[in-house]
Amino acid sequence: MKQIIEFPHTMWISQYTIRFAFDEVISQENFQLVQQFNRFLKKMLHTNLIESVASYHTVTAYVKHQVDIAFLQEQWLTMQRNAYVGEATSQPLQIPICYDEEFALDMHRVMNVTALPFEAIKKLHMDKVYSVYLIGFLPGFPYLGDLHSQLFVPRLTKPRSLVSAGSVGIGGLQTGIYPLDSPGGWNIIGKTPFTLFDIHRKAPFLFTLGGQVQFYEITKQAFLEIKEKECSN
Amino acid sequence: MKPLLIVKKQGVYGSLQDQGREGYRAFGVPRSGPMDSVSFQAAHTIVDNATADQTSFEMFIGGFEFQALNDGIYVLTGATCLCLLNGRPIEMWKTFQLFKGDILSIKSVNNGSIVYLTPKGGFQTDLILGSKASLPMVGSTPGVGSVLYGQYVAALPLTRGLYAPYRPYFHTAITVRVFKGPHFQLFTEASRQQFLSSPYQFSGGNRMGYYLKGNVLDLKTRKDILSEATQFGTIQVPQNGQPIVLMADAQTVGGYPIIATIHEDDLHKVAQMRMFNTIRFVLMEESYAN
Repeated sequence: MKQIIEFPHTMWISQYTIRFAFDEVISQENFQLVQQFNRFLKKMLHTNLIESVASYHTVTAYVKHQVDIAFLQEQWLTMQRNAYVGEATSQPLQIPICYDEEFALDMHRVMNVTALPFEAIKKLHMDKVYSVYLIGFLPGFPYLGDLHSQLFVPRLTKPRSLVSAGSVGIGGLQTGIYPLDSPGGWNIIGKTPFTLFDIHRKAPFLFTLGGQVQFYEITKQAFLEIKEKECSN
Repeated sequence: MKPLLIVKKQGVYGSLQDQGREGYRAFGVPRSGPMDSVSFQAAHTIVDNATADQTSFEMFIGGFEFQALNDGIYVLTGATCLCLLNGRPIEMWKTFQLFKGDILSIKSVNNGSIVYLTPKGGFQTDLILGSKASLPMVGSTPGVGSVLYGQYVAALPLTRGLYAPYRPYFHTAITVRVFKGPHFQLFTEASRQQFLSSPYQFSGGNRMGYYLKGNVLDLKTRKDILSEATQFGTIQVPQNGQPIVLMADAQTVGGYPIIATIHEDDLHKVAQMRMFNTIRFVLMEESYAN
């Protein structure tokens, strides 16, 4: 029998903000739980919910008026007994990366710290299917996990004043992509020709919180061709 | 759209603001909107703008100059400042007319820090993610040479305004209500008491955050916390122990411990703080926070 998932710790952050917290850990299980609870909230609160933001272990709900938490608790348990909230079923988003030395600004640093040849680093980076645990820092900046433990490299002690949009970095337990030109301290190992954030695009953001992502390698020639196509659209 | 003004001189920071954008926080886009919603709302009430037309130009301190490209009715609200129309002082909180070619200057501010310039009919601009509020990361902030647009509207038959006794006064020492933050209990007992009993001084800031200075706030044990959602009014405490209040354009998630969150209805007071002003925090009743 399936184990009943306890209702998360609930706290009013302000008049119109509620924070629901699960255990403070980064893990796939916790991530699935958070996503499931986020879907549950959207369904239950419906038009009372302005929006919600999920993180590794919390869902923060911005609401229009007070919410009956006891009722939510009851529904959470009932729902688990009766129905299945469902999991994200979408295919991982395939993101091309050019790992060319020209873009992999921290290639040597990462090779030194990991004591791996760059070919192995690329392979470890591409092998995993990542989850979008969090979006923040910049509009559309995805925090992707879990990174292979052999690729854990501390962030730069002195952040770069400018990292160009599309740069793919690894930092600590995660990998991510800079959606815009910005300062940044992640170790840059490649670049995607895809545009992560474009206000004029029908879907302005490439990544969605809770989605899945996988990387594949492209040549510099292919990078330039895709980039050109992206820009002419 | 009708061209209303051209920006001739730029002060510290100017941006267009409406009620802000909803539905994009999960994508890392802040809500934005006015820092001082009271002065903002008063402006739109004075010029009688419909909800959809409520867009103002928000300015930090003075230093702005505009030239009118067309005739229009305006009102200035917010921080008390010297405002000149073709070199002559005009009254704030009261409608005035600009004729084509007129020069409007926003000079020194002597009370508060944020001023709103609001035309009858509101400023008009293309929506960015459903809102007219400037989104600085994508370079949509007006600067010198920018044209601010409005719309063709009927003139107001009479001068309208807010009587002097009803205009807000921005105090140099304020007290605001706070809710306990998710990491309140992680702070030492002494730090929690300091936070709730001693004043903190404004030491600079912008639409993203206000930096405060005062008694250092320490965690019981140095512990990294996981990033989570923040909002306008979140008080986070980085390693140096000095609190930062996240403001309207702040990032949507943060990784510093959150000691408290300021009550929404008190945020306008915080927004108008300036150098050396002080702020005190009083805790909302326990029962509210479950």
